[in-house]
Amino acid sequence: MRKSTLLKLLTFGLLLSLMLVACGNGDETEAAATTAPDEGDGEEFVGTSVSAESCDYGGKILSIEAVDELTVVFTLCSPDPAFPGKAAFTPFGILPAEFIAATGGTGDILEQPVGTGPYMVSDWVRGESVTYTRFDDYWGDAPAAETVVLRWNAESAARLLELQAGTADMVTLVSKDDFQAIEDDPNLQLIPVPNPNIFYIGFTNTFAPWDNVDVRRAVGMGIDRQRIVDNFYPPGSEVASHFTPCSIPNGCAGDEWYEFDLEAANALLDDAGFPRDENGVRFTTSIYFRDVVRVYLPQAPIVAVEIQTQLLENLGIDAEVVEMESGEFITESGNGRLDGLHLLGWGADYPHVTNFLDFHFGRIGTQFGDSYPDVYEQLEAGAQIGDEAAAQSIYEAANNAIRELLPMVPIAHGTAADAALASLGGAYTPPFGATQFMYLDPGDDTLVYVQNAEPIGLWCADMTDGESLRPCQQVVETLLEYGQDSGEVHGELATSCTSNDDGSVWTCALRSGVLFHDGSSFDANDVVASWAVGLDMANPSHVGSTGDFFYFGYLWDSFINAED
Amino acid sequence: MAASMEGLEIQPEISNNYKSDSLLRLAGRRFFRQRSALIGMIILGTLIFVAIFASQIAPYDPNQVLIDIEDITQRQDPCIHLLGCPKDQAQHIMGIDGNFRDEFSRVIHGTRVSLFIGFTTVGLAIVAGTLIGAVSGYAGGWVDNIIMRLMDVILAFPSFLLAIAIITVLGRGLQNALYAIAIVYTPQFARVVRASVLSVKEKEFVSASRALGAGSFRLLFIRILPNAIAPLIVTGTLGIASAILEAAALSFLGLGAQPPLSEWGTMLGTDRNQVFSAPHLVFYPGISIMITVLAFNLLGDGLRDALDPRLANKASK
Repeated sequence: MRKSTLLKLLTFGLLLSLMLVACGNGDETEAAATTAPDEGDGEEFVGTSVSAESCDYGGKILSIEAVDELTVVFTLCSPDPAFPGKAAFTPFGILPAEFIAATGGTGDILEQPVGTGPYMVSDWVRGESVTYTRFDDYWGDAPAAETVVLRWNAESAARLLELQAGTADMVTLVSKDDFQAIEDDPNLQLIPVPNPNIFYIGFTNTFAPWDNVDVRRAVGMGIDRQRIVDNFYPPGSEVASHFTPCSIPNGCAGDEWYEFDLEAANALLDDAGFPRDENGVRFTTSIYFRDVVRVYLPQAPIVAVEIQTQLLENLGIDAEVVEMESGEFITESGNGRLDGLHLLGWGADYPHVTNFLDFHFGRIGTQFGDSYPDVYEQLEAGAQIGDEAAAQSIYEAANNAIRELLPMVPIAHGTAADAALASLGGAYTPPFGATQFMYLDPGDDTLVYVQNAEPIGLWCADMTDGESLRPCQQVVETLLEYGQDSGEVHGELATSCTSNDDGSVWTCALRSGVLFHDGSSFDANDVVASWAVGLDMANPSHVGSTGDFFYFGYLWDSFINAED
Repeated sequence: MAASMEGLEIQPEISNNYKSDSLLRLAGRRFFRQRSALIGMIILGTLIFVAIFASQIAPYDPNQVLIDIEDITQRQDPCIHLLGCPKDQAQHIMGIDGNFRDEFSRVIHGTRVSLFIGFTTVGLAIVAGTLIGAVSGYAGGWVDNIIMRLMDVILAFPSFLLAIAIITVLGRGLQNALYAIAIVYTPQFARVVRASVLSVKEKEFVSASRALGAGSFRLLFIRILPNAIAPLIVTGTLGIASAILEAAALSFLGLGAQPPLSEWGTMLGTDRNQVFSAPHLVFYPGISIMITVLAFNLLGDGLRDALDPRLANKASK
């Protein structure tokens, strides 16, 4: 009995030794996984992944895999040279996997998300303010202000008043009429907003008479765009020669937009079968818009009336101006349900031409009615080419097709400005993403920032509006981030993201020693979980406040396990 | 307001015309003795004159955009030659608005719109309220109960919120705003008329008519209503002021008049953010609303004092 017991013990010891040796001699990835404890509790790291069965689902991402604690591999269905720019966008921020699972994608995650950012949400008083507290274990440089109070006010005059009264340190989007007063005030500073953008008049080609390309072209030629920019936009704004601003590579490839030509425009309308009646009116329509201040359209009601005036005077089109509630307007226009003209625009999310063209003119787009194959086929080809020079001819063809088919009329690339107290150190507004509060130094413990509107929610993954993305960007960080003064992408939670030769596989090396606000350690599984919850519709936490997870579907073409 | 009107009664229509004329003359004399009422009437008269001759008074079409026509800037300050504005600069006594239009011309034409709103909404509410109140008061019983409880339900809502709710259903626009305000105001008039009808229908001349074989329709519309309508004049006049205010507020919120119509509330709303950089664009429409409302209120108070014998007696003491 004693011998057999000893034999058993020896056998067990031998097996254990063999296992340890096997682990020590394994490949590099496995070694890292076994040696690095997960969440500091001494357990082995077990990488997770999310993947589609195949690329047939129509999306761009085939799989995301945590190959070790600090390495994540994104395998795409087709090359995507814009991957770093997209991955730096705020909705793809990283939260702890356990936190996501615990909340089930609702509750705390919507109002008090846990991230790795320099600030933690300490309180959100609905209708009043969001208060942040500095995160003392932040991996980067410590923010200047210990507390940040984010407030909102829809009226630009009221925001400016807050600044002048000294009750705010920085405010967003002041009226262009106040630019001079702010510049002349030694206590204030004007901060230009360099976000590339476009303001356009959209048509839905499933409604008459906008199903007739000659009618659309007549509007494209018959609106004096220079007059609009000269009289209703701040200095520095320019008439749009193309849909995409020229600051975006390949944005201006192809022919410039039509010259203002009333004679040709009216001839087109005559030939299209829309003669003037005894009052000089050819037909009636509506101009839909929303009264919100955006960089691309700082005075929406005023510009709407100007376009109404020009349509009647120049072309004999009698248009009724219809102001819509913002959310309803976005929904209706996005789904191609507006029977008249709609005034909309776009501010760049990331510095790539696909951000402008693919979203608006892609195959599945419905905003302008039936999508245009001559356009989207070019865009699909262009999106797979990383070399800007090589893609130029494709974007030339795409832009020329847009010019020929006129799904919209590009009007202006606008400029705008935020304002801050002159005493606020580091005040800036970046071209992409939002101002990071951590760089602002109010000179005391509390920073007060006033924006246009209250955030809808603070879980970036399910948000689209700037007023929600700005506050959650202070809390949650992404793998990569944009520069403070350019669209250049560099590491944030990843130290690097490198691709294979054709840009279809991206490997991101993650920063070590990063802690979440709840004290847990950041690792590759958190990246997988944060992306999976937005991308995979079957994920139990794919809930959110709207449940749209819009940017996951839009930037990566489709959702995994999408419902029919 | 309505409560104080309920006790008001006018002598019945009788064959002795000189007595009726005397009462009217008496009320007229009492009215013209009040300076505030006279001021109200003069202001209102001026406003009506401006509204009728707006096209002749305004130097520009209210919707005319002056870009490329005159050397002006967006939201330019007022330029009055008499006050030192250079003669080579075009005169715009209330300045230029955000769309490069003459603010004075828009304010002048806005008078027409505002008076139209006031008279139309109150007119609609009076017609509806009179019919409802008359039927309710005359029929009595369960008909009166049902109708008045319905009116109570409408009155239970804050009027402005109810108007917004109605517009949400009907859709934005001036026409729908008019309907919404008229609906909101109808119960007030219904209650006033009902109270008068309840009082008048018990009078001897009504009983006499009934005894002579007059039908319900004739009794109500020929005998009772004409003698119960006086309180409506006062309530209606004061109601116009409130209706103009509410319509302006709705337009300010973008629910009433739509661009490019020169309506004061819309003008205020469009340029609300320019209160510091171009205060004239907020001041002139605002002061126009204030003056108009003040005129109707002064006139309404004067009419009430003139038509209410009890107040008149107090005033004469």
